[in-house]
Amino acid sequence: MGIYFRKRKRPRPIGVSEKTSPPDGNHNSADNTSESLLLSTDIEENLQYLQAIFENCSDVVYREFLLAQQEQIKLALIYTDGLTDKSQVSEQIMRALALEMSMATDSTEITRANALHYVKMRGLCIHQIQESQRLEDVVDAVLSGDTVLLVDGHATALINGNRGWESRSIEDSKTEIVVRGPRESFVETLRTNTSMLRRKIKNPNLKIETLQLGQVTKTDIAVAYIKGIVNEGLVSEVKKRLGRINIDGVLESGYIEELIKDNPMSVFPTISHTDRPDRVAANLLEGRVAILVDGTPVALTAPYLFIEAIQTPEDYYEQSFFASGVRVLRIASLFLALTLPSLYVAIISFHQEMLPTPLLLSIAAQREAVPFPVFVEAFIMEVAFEIIRETGIRLPRPVGQAVSIVAALIIGEAAVQAGLVAGATIIVVALTAMASFTVYYSGSIALRLLRFPLMFLAAFLGLFGLISGLIIMVVHLASLRSFGVPYLAPVAPIITEDLKDSAVRAPWWAMDKRPHLIGQNNPRREAPGLKPHPPRERKR
Amino acid sequence: MLEKGKIGGRQAVYLNVTMIVATALLGAPALMAAQARQDAWLSSLLATLLGIPLALLTVKLSSLYPGKTLIEYLEEIIGRWPGKVLGLLYLFYFIHITSIMIREYGGFLVDALMPQTPLIVFNITVVAISAYTIKLGLEVLARAHQFFFPWIVFSLALTFLLATPQVDLTRLLPVFESGAVPILKGSLTPTAWHGEIIAFAMIIPFLAKPDQARSIALYSIGYVGVIFFFLVIGSLATFGPGIASMNYPVLNEIRLISITKIIDRMEPFIVAIWVTGGLMKVAFFYYVIVLGSAQWLKLRDYRPLALPLGAILVALSIAVAENTMQTFDFIAHVWPLYALTAFEMGFPVVLLAIALARKKGESALD
Repeated sequence: MGIYFRKRKRPRPIGVSEKTSPPDGNHNSADNTSESLLLSTDIEENLQYLQAIFENCSDVVYREFLLAQQEQIKLALIYTDGLTDKSQVSEQIMRALALEMSMATDSTEITRANALHYVKMRGLCIHQIQESQRLEDVVDAVLSGDTVLLVDGHATALINGNRGWESRSIEDSKTEIVVRGPRESFVETLRTNTSMLRRKIKNPNLKIETLQLGQVTKTDIAVAYIKGIVNEGLVSEVKKRLGRINIDGVLESGYIEELIKDNPMSVFPTISHTDRPDRVAANLLEGRVAILVDGTPVALTAPYLFIEAIQTPEDYYEQSFFASGVRVLRIASLFLALTLPSLYVAIISFHQEMLPTPLLLSIAAQREAVPFPVFVEAFIMEVAFEIIRETGIRLPRPVGQAVSIVAALIIGEAAVQAGLVAGATIIVVALTAMASFTVYYSGSIALRLLRFPLMFLAAFLGLFGLISGLIIMVVHLASLRSFGVPYLAPVAPIITEDLKDSAVRAPWWAMDKRPHLIGQNNPRREAPGLKPHPPRERKR
Repeated sequence: MLEKGKIGGRQAVYLNVTMIVATALLGAPALMAAQARQDAWLSSLLATLLGIPLALLTVKLSSLYPGKTLIEYLEEIIGRWPGKVLGLLYLFYFIHITSIMIREYGGFLVDALMPQTPLIVFNITVVAISAYTIKLGLEVLARAHQFFFPWIVFSLALTFLLATPQVDLTRLLPVFESGAVPILKGSLTPTAWHGEIIAFAMIIPFLAKPDQARSIALYSIGYVGVIFFFLVIGSLATFGPGIASMNYPVLNEIRLISITKIIDRMEPFIVAIWVTGGLMKVAFFYYVIVLGSAQWLKLRDYRPLALPLGAILVALSIAVAENTMQTFDFIAHVWPLYALTAFEMGFPVVLLAIALARKKGESALD
């Protein structure tokens, strides 16, 4: 076990300690038991220690130099190459200490004994400096991209906050696209992400608590909420569930999502994920909690309700009538994406009388040459579509277009001409596929999965089978909760006030309350009576 | 307490309405018209009026023993062993009517949707889904039901509206042709349906606000009355008193709907929506049975009883009648007397009298 593995209150799971041991596992093993190892006053000894810890870590840089003083005071910089802003290291630290400090101070004042104080107060031109005497803080700092400055004769390290690494610039959201509204999306750097939130919510009540998860990766996690709006119980519940996590690494927020989900065996998401800062900000303002994870642009928000599958950020920016219309469309799409293939199977195999006669005849004519029962036909086409979709995502960009043309041609045209499937089936599958994209992504994953069992049921029992499947699904949905909030709210249990933001999106002057079950702590979000109206009495 | 969930007032009203309407809507107009002919709509109104005292009776009994279900307070009213016996009878009654419901329901699906599928397939499916639901508890049942309820009401309203081209109100004439007696006879079966509100006594303790029980029961009876009324008026005005010879007059009414040849033959859709209602009704009674049995046996959890009782229900639902006609005959002629004289009215009246007397005696002793 490495010395920088902090003490844990809970026993470590068996097997983790060996696996997660860093390369320096054997070093300092004698000191394992001490809670925190302190630095020594001898800079050489400290350096030896650190070099032992960072053995074979070729990206850690040690730079020793002398303070620009008469008395020879040795300094050492330790940082990780690539994580630190190198120009700052050379300009603001080394240049300042090795050359310019003598100009700023009377050189006789500085002795070995007060060197640390002068270096910090007069020498370093770094905006954020922490002092620490603990070795593990030094190691953490180096690995996080800070630059550690050791001064000979002092058992205190100066940790300079000059992180700076290559990162992607802020770009348009890739997964949730809007026509009207902010374009920016989160990036992989946690600090950038929290700054984007802070820029949207300039309020000291926006709290961003950080913690580290992952014994090996030591990933920074930020829990964001707005004090005074959020339900305190929710925050402590989120923190409690995060505190349970004991895992070697957290590479994406999906790890956390699965580890803190309410009902782990459900295909429906009970935690939302998004890469849009405006969505997170809106969720925070409604009293939700956001979890941001370093290294991924995808943030989590909770509680997440089923109704959010048909809500997009743009609904709140566009005018309400249009947004409501689109929502109704999305509900229809959600229903189609889930049931259209099974409805098709049920009607064609059992309830032909439901179709108008001319349509029935034309479908029958198309299906004349098809050798399979309609269920097999639809099933094959659905699977084929899923393959195309998966291909489209994984394909290297240059070949993507070529393959999608081939797929469209073969599946669309050739399959019909070859008599493998009926044209109507292609239409059904294509419409289903299109419809599933209008629904919020992680919600549509569940629909994609459930489509197949529903098709089976429809093939066996017709409409009754389909309805039975839907009933089981709704019963399951009704049994779900997301952080204590019933998943089907505001529909079941019905919350009349919240229906303003469900199938319709009421104008902003009408949505004066936060969602009841989430924002009950501070229910009102705007003053009543904001509906614009012309002045009641005209002035003469 | 066995059930930890709480249900809201509105959810309880919805549950009650479905509990009464869901299977009744299949054959109710025909059963009423068989006695009262074109005055069947008066029967339905009368039944609603007669339903109100039944609802009040149920609620009054529960209010005397707050926090207790029917099975639990029976023992308090008439003593331990007689209470056990009567409780067992009530459980048998619930099991009996539930198996009839399942029979009726499966039979309807066979007749209306899939004539070549064996009845037991539907019965097993319905019971299996209900078993899954009640294992998740009353709250989930109420919530899932709340999700479906608007659709059921919507489908009924849509049926009524789309069928208006066929409606001819002169078919309701002459009113009061053969006097009051046939109307009274015609109202017996729907009154017995209203009386199914006795099952509400099993969930009153789980209301979030038990003092609302009275208004919940009255609202339920009111809504059911309105739905019955429109169902009867709709099918009577479409077909006239001839509906008496039909099995499923409302279904036939839907079959006639044809709007410009596009909205045509929509009964599978409507039936599919009714399926949810029927399923929820079965699930509710199944829940009442399972919960009641667990309380009768003084178990700590009712969930282990779900599957065994479900097996009994499936088996009984096949054995209870040979065919649809027999089912309807039972519902029309035997069940109202059996239900009203004993379990829905007779026993509760006696129980209330004893309970009131005991309460009076106790307060006199104090």
